[in-house]
Amino acid sequence: MATGSKQGFNWVKLKKQVFSRTTYRGILAIIVFTVLWEMCSRLQVPIVGNVPPPSSVLKALGQQLVSKSYWASWLDSYVRILTGFAIAQVFGIPLGLLLGVNKKARDLIYPVFEIMRPIPPLAWVPIAVIFWPTTELSMMFVTFLGAFFTVVLNIVGGARSIDVRYIRAAHSLGSTRADIFWKVMLPATLPSIVVGMTVGMGITWAVVVAAEMIASRSGLGFLTWQSYVAGVYPLIVIGMMSIGVAGYISSAMIRLIGRRITPWLRTY
Amino acid sequence: MKTGDASSSSSRGQISIRNVSKVYDPDGAKVLAVIDCSMEIKAGEFCVVVGPSGCGKTTLLNAIAGFHGITAGEILLDGQVLCNASQQAAPGSDRIVVFQNGALFPWFTVLENVTFGPVVQGGISDKQARDKARAMLSQMGLQGIENNYPSEISSGMRRRVEIARAMMNDPSVLLLDEPFRALDALVHQFLLDVYDKSKKTIFFITHDLEEAIFLGSKVYIMTTRPAKIKTILDVDIPRPRDFRVLSSSSYIRLKKECIEAVHEEALKAFAAGEREMA
Repeated sequence: MATGSKQGFNWVKLKKQVFSRTTYRGILAIIVFTVLWEMCSRLQVPIVGNVPPPSSVLKALGQQLVSKSYWASWLDSYVRILTGFAIAQVFGIPLGLLLGVNKKARDLIYPVFEIMRPIPPLAWVPIAVIFWPTTELSMMFVTFLGAFFTVVLNIVGGARSIDVRYIRAAHSLGSTRADIFWKVMLPATLPSIVVGMTVGMGITWAVVVAAEMIASRSGLGFLTWQSYVAGVYPLIVIGMMSIGVAGYISSAMIRLIGRRITPWLRTY
Repeated sequence: MKTGDASSSSSRGQISIRNVSKVYDPDGAKVLAVIDCSMEIKAGEFCVVVGPSGCGKTTLLNAIAGFHGITAGEILLDGQVLCNASQQAAPGSDRIVVFQNGALFPWFTVLENVTFGPVVQGGISDKQARDKARAMLSQMGLQGIENNYPSEISSGMRRRVEIARAMMNDPSVLLLDEPFRALDALVHQFLLDVYDKSKKTIFFITHDLEEAIFLGSKVYIMTTRPAKIKTILDVDIPRPRDFRVLSSSSYIRLKKECIEAVHEEALKAFAAGEREMA
């Protein structure tokens, strides 16, 4: 009972987590991986030996970290991601709820939705480039598609699996239809919304990187591809790792938001 | 109990169930759940309905609550027709249900759950509702958990909070659908205390005989499906009751009577099940 839900930040727990055996093992694993990678390169192991070694990647990274164009790539990719993702939420969440709650809407909209959904977002690139006035808009559109279908699908599933007891209890306690929606259906669906956002964010990065390689002149995907074309191999690895870090940061952001909006799922 | 004194409460909550039948008809396969069932529940009575699992007890409760309709007969609350064959009752805060597996909203804290009824019904400010809820919780010995989520408290505690949430609405009737399955005996004592203080009409469903006799003033023993009333038992054990009742001679005598009636039904149910399997 002592674990109140609305308490301040738990520093002791954080300290324990940071200085734990798991952390040390993790650090050790990364060191071993880096050393192995360096050795593969130095010993000219077939195939993997062709990857630029950590030493040269680090050297190139030093130059990149002070380069304006490198950070511009980050910014461009992030703008595409966040715009596409945000618009996907703005349209996806209400649509998902509508489809989940209203059978008539589901009957009418779902068939079209189900025809569109299996089309991989990247297959949209050519037509998106044709019908959007700028490449930037087409990138955002493709990113939007990546998150949109996942978000809607998760919410429909969540809204449809709400336990009837909650709805009955709310009716019994004197709720109006609006109360039922705002105080029961929406919060009951929030965990599914968070799952949709988490998965959607992952897809969004996969989509934006590939789309940038195909059709863009900027961004982390373009940086990686351009480095390959120009034969600057360490920069390819930097591009890849940057995408990984950027994706991780985005997921962490979603997790943070998710924990904020579903506080009752926090386990102590 | 703050909500209404005993005299005003016991003038409300009289339930008449008259010749009620319910046929479930999914895909044309008619299933007779309840047949020609009648009960007269006095205002302020603790009424317990006992019967084997799946016999149609919950069907009756859901009809009173307004979650579904009935096929024949009528149910009256305080002389007003609640539902009949042509009209389903609307769910309302005068008949609050406490569900079998609990239905506290997991996304609200204990306090938000308890104030839910008054807040959605309006007519009272949020602050008033919170104050009333705090008073209700502390009267029931549930203080200190207001800001916890239901997942953070024990299942017995959750059920108590749910009863508090129901009592906040000053209902005419409390409808309890096997609420204490797999919970400790303290919850029974809790409900008895709530009943003794409020004298609300209670419609309690269970398959557990001992629970029925321990809690109820009147025990209706149902037959297997299609459910009708087999025996009505007047439990003349005085209130307030506590665990000592369980070793009293009248309790043991009533239990024996009950067991015989139910055993017969259980055998019938078993035989019917055997037939269905064959």
